[in-house]
Amino acid sequence: MTTVNDAQPAVITARHNDNVVVGDEIVRHRRATRLMHWCVALTFFIALFSGMPIWSPLFAWMAALVGGMNVARIIHPYAGSLFFIASVVQFFHWLADMRFRDDEKGAWKPSRLMAYMRWEENPSDDQGKFNPGQKVFFFSVCLGALGLLVSGIIMWFPLYFPPLVRELGILLHDITFIFFLVGIITHIYLGTAAEPGTFRSMTRGTVSRRWARLHHPGWFRDVTNKKE
Amino acid sequence: MASQTLEIKRSSASMWGTSTGIRSLPTVAKYVDTSTCIGCKACEAACQEWNDLKRVPTSQDGSYQTMPELQADFWNLIKFNETEVDGELNWLMRKDQCMHCAEPGCLAACPAPGAIVQYANGIVDVNPDSCIGCGYCATGCPFDVPKFHAKTGKMAKCTLCVDRAEVGLEPACVKACPTGCLSYGSKDDMVALGILRVKQLKDAGFKDAMLYDPQGVGGTSVVTVLKYNRPELYSLPADPHVPWGVKVWKQVVRPLGVIAGFLTIFAAFGHYTKYGPKEPPSDEGRAA
Repeated sequence: MTTVNDAQPAVITARHNDNVVVGDEIVRHRRATRLMHWCVALTFFIALFSGMPIWSPLFAWMAALVGGMNVARIIHPYAGSLFFIASVVQFFHWLADMRFRDDEKGAWKPSRLMAYMRWEENPSDDQGKFNPGQKVFFFSVCLGALGLLVSGIIMWFPLYFPPLVRELGILLHDITFIFFLVGIITHIYLGTAAEPGTFRSMTRGTVSRRWARLHHPGWFRDVTNKKE
Repeated sequence: MASQTLEIKRSSASMWGTSTGIRSLPTVAKYVDTSTCIGCKACEAACQEWNDLKRVPTSQDGSYQTMPELQADFWNLIKFNETEVDGELNWLMRKDQCMHCAEPGCLAACPAPGAIVQYANGIVDVNPDSCIGCGYCATGCPFDVPKFHAKTGKMAKCTLCVDRAEVGLEPACVKACPTGCLSYGSKDDMVALGILRVKQLKDAGFKDAMLYDPQGVGGTSVVTVLKYNRPELYSLPADPHVPWGVKVWKQVVRPLGVIAGFLTIFAAFGHYTKYGPKEPPSDEGRAA
């Protein structure tokens, strides 16, 4: 636990320190973390809006957001490349926080997942800074970014690859993206409407004590350094 | 894409074409008799000239062939295959160009609405206005025909001279052919001509003569008479079909993905409706 000057507002502290208590607030994500997250998100959305109209004509309207199909085709690989670079930075930035604890093994079983989605309290849960679901999502995103990169390079330069490789590349890109789509919709839902107070941790950087105790009791205990 | 008057039967990345179905247009086809081709390349020159394609550098690869394969600005290439058949040297020439499949793999793979169209008369055409140059059509084509033009960023290929076809003229290559090995007309007529020629060849001793009109792609609007029933001798695929990867992608993976995406959104709304937000019990003190 870092000692901080309680005299300055939490949002100032949140520039450089996280996992610290400032008054009623706890700093969850320091500025570097938030910048990194939004770099990943921004590049993802540019790639999304330029990729989805090419994926299916059902989303052809998205092409208007980036300036048409031709522009979409041109910027998509670059946006995707930037997304991959941002994801690599994110991977190393968060890797230490995302290690699974021994008692978290099996926490992503469907039954446990359903119980979580029903907001059921499980006395044995003692979520640290990130819960097992978040960790699974983190590693899925990293793996997905790699899959999208590899298949994306094949699709970017199709003339350099034999037809079968191109077919497999397109399939891999599509399947990876579909998992991404489902994951990202869930991620956005949980981070905004479903769990109030969460979104603020990625904007202002801070959460309330109540939020921390509810969602991440283990982390709350660590940062406040006292047993609840 | 040169035609503005032909009705469109099918259009890429679109639910349906623009065809009213009122006009009765026969499927047109080109007939190629490889057994009477003399390899003069008049068709190559005529194609370049009619389509205003610039002169393209040729390459010398130890054969008479103009270049190894079709290019974005070279749509008609006579392939010279020197090969041994039944212990005899054969010089098998074959006219390589877009086959204008009835079930075009390029159109199936194309993601840009209207970039590849199939007219009511069966001609498959690239519309550069809508083409985004992604190259999916090259992946979808079993004949490796559509080529990427690096300067324009568009795909290009033989149009079966659609601008001539729509006013009732034969394609430029057919017009130029000096031996009559090329012919043009309705698909039915060209198939009949092909069957007749195959019979002639069989009578003349070529027992394996065949008409190449591969059904794996629904038949093609280029029917080719071959002396030997081994299309691969002519650098033609024996059983061409739209690649399975393209079919799985467009007919299985993509619809499932769209459904999965919308289901997830519905599930999120349903979840919120049933369980609402996860908020801490209100009586817990802020002072904790």
